Amino acid sequence: MAMIRNQRRHRLVALTLILPFVAVFALVFAYPLVEVVRLSFTNATLIGGGEWIGLQNYRELLADKLFYTSLKNNGYFMLLTVIPTTVIALCIALMVQRLSGRMQALALALFFLPYILPVSVVTQIWAWMLDFQFGILQPLFERIVGKPIPVFKNPYWVMPSVAVVTIWWTNGFNVLLFLAGLRNIPSDLYEASALDGATRWQQFTRVTWPLLWPVVALVLTLQLILQLKIFDQIYLLSEGGPFNSSSVLLLMVYREAFQQNNGGYASAISLVVFLLIVAVSVLQYQLLRIRGRR
Amino acid sequence: MKKLVVFATAALLGSAFPALSEQNITWWDFFAGGDGVRMKALIQQFNEEHPDIRVTSTTLEWGTPFYTKVRTSAAVGQGPDVMTYHLSRLPMGLKEGVLTPITAEDLEAAGLSKDDFFAPALEAASGPDGALYAVPFDIHSTVLFYNKALLEGTEFLDADGNLTGIDSLESFEAALAAAKENGATAPLSYATGDDGGTYRVFYTLLAQQDGQLISDDGEVLPGDSGEKAARAIEIMTKWQEEGWQPEQAMYEASVALFTSGKSAFFFNGAWEVPTMVDMQEGGNLGFDWGVATIPNLMGTDTNWADSHGFAVPIQGKNEMDPEKRKAVMTLIGWMEKNSLAWAEAGHIPAYKPVAESDEFKSMEPNATYAGIAERATYDPRSPAAGVASPVYDAAINILSPAIHGYLSPEDAVEELRSELEGALN
Repeated sequence: MAMIRNQRRHRLVALTLILPFVAVFALVFAYPLVEVVRLSFTNATLIGGGEWIGLQNYRELLADKLFYTSLKNNGYFMLLTVIPTTVIALCIALMVQRLSGRMQALALALFFLPYILPVSVVTQIWAWMLDFQFGILQPLFERIVGKPIPVFKNPYWVMPSVAVVTIWWTNGFNVLLFLAGLRNIPSDLYEASALDGATRWQQFTRVTWPLLWPVVALVLTLQLILQLKIFDQIYLLSEGGPFNSSSVLLLMVYREAFQQNNGGYASAISLVVFLLIVAVSVLQYQLLRIRGRR
Repeated sequence: MKKLVVFATAALLGSAFPALSEQNITWWDFFAGGDGVRMKALIQQFNEEHPDIRVTSTTLEWGTPFYTKVRTSAAVGQGPDVMTYHLSRLPMGLKEGVLTPITAEDLEAAGLSKDDFFAPALEAASGPDGALYAVPFDIHSTVLFYNKALLEGTEFLDADGNLTGIDSLESFEAALAAAKENGATAPLSYATGDDGGTYRVFYTLLAQQDGQLISDDGEVLPGDSGEKAARAIEIMTKWQEEGWQPEQAMYEASVALFTSGKSAFFFNGAWEVPTMVDMQEGGNLGFDWGVATIPNLMGTDTNWADSHGFAVPIQGKNEMDPEKRKAVMTLIGWMEKNSLAWAEAGHIPAYKPVAESDEFKSMEPNATYAGIAERATYDPRSPAAGVASPVYDAAINILSPAIHGYLSPEDAVEELRSELEGALN
């Protein structure tokens, strides 16, 4: 009897402990999510519930040329950022790790600095540096390509340029993750392998890489999710142009919802983006885990 | 507790305990820079002259942020009592249902009548039902600034140093070529890489051919307007190829090109007039400048224009208190009658008694281009057009790349058509 009461009290305590979290989670995550799903089946504007129109929004979306262009651009942007930023961060982390003491702290601070800047400052800096009329990087372009290039106005240059800005901005955080991972590798493994006559390259492929793999998988997954959500840089640097060559899914959501007042349609696009991110990141994480286990 | 709430509300509104008869009016606008300074001075003067009405003004960010906030806050009754509104944005405002009609009694309370306003502005302020949804305040259109030094010795300046002899596309292009000879690196400056600048030139060239971007019943480029739009893009592309206009100039760069003496002509809104006036007074403009109406290049003498107006938004599900509405209308009427101060920002007053007054007629350079008030072409009466609309997006997304040679005029027109039709569905 006492035990049963005890168990009951246990449950009660457990419930009260998780209640604050559940309440906040329900309010700021679960409820909006349910609402987005519901809105995506209505013709709602930005304010108000709207009328149920079934799959109309999704049918429209599948016939929307801009949707496919944006989807393609999201994919292209992922290709341009996810793996490059991971490779660059790993290289920087390996180099920073070889420094010691103050120098290491200084190098780390320098690489981390861009990450603490707000996106509007980052884009402003790059927009000025790359400004077609007065930008300080344009003479460099003139040297290499022979003429100045309005990078955010040129359909071929725009996505790679936004990718460069993004990598410059967010790379510091990945360096930090890699550095933490590298510090977790016991140094005796390197000593032992050195005694056995392993070269630097062998040390990297046989010791560092396998032990660092979980961090690499984490960085890749985080980057994938982050880069699929690209919006700020595009909105601030190119506004999706020229002729939609840098239009992305979240820019569509913004325009439909806040400019065109089509809340329902915007919800449908957001839901598709959400499902896309879930599917791609789960798939990727599973793939990486299988590789890691082998 | 109740007292505390009242006190907190009063404190939040930024006013101490209001007298019983005092009307508090919340005002929202989007004016920054010189416009903002002028508007704040007007509001302050109004407050001083009206002890029974107190206007508290807030300036929000121009464009999409302003209109998004208006739409959401008015719908739940948290919006302003009166706000500035672009008349080109009125169709979208009507679609959103955020504007209340300005009735005959309202106008009477303001001491105004419909006949006091210029016809194009009045038309732009009316809904399809003929009711008025905003009170026009000004008319701001594109004008042609010119650099007299760069035109010296050509046939395009008369004995008094004023622009002359430009009455067709050929003569305008001859003037551009002559200015190039005289050392202008970019004879015609406008914001070729920005949405507004590109759109206004395009729309003016289209309107001068009697072309329509979107018809009143929502057809994009009806009839032969597609070919006329292609012709407009073709002309702008030619100006690019000849090196007559700057490549990918953003708004600020387009102003700088003219003020630094690199451009003989500058196609922009009259709102840049104060910039030139101030620079000349400060001795920072190294040349004599003038301003003219946009020449008739394509056959019909017209050009792009828009108006700022005053609108009274809905208050959620409630009606505004009639006494308060009266106070709002008093404010609007006072603003109209004092709009001469606003004209110093380069605008033309939409209120005829001021626009036709001797004070305004002697105001230079505004008087030079005041005539366009009667023949201006406003943006299409469509929710897809106007400030911060899909039309502006299309300008930066399609028109600007096209005039830089990335798209042929015909392809650009097709893209434009499909993008605007998409936005209208």
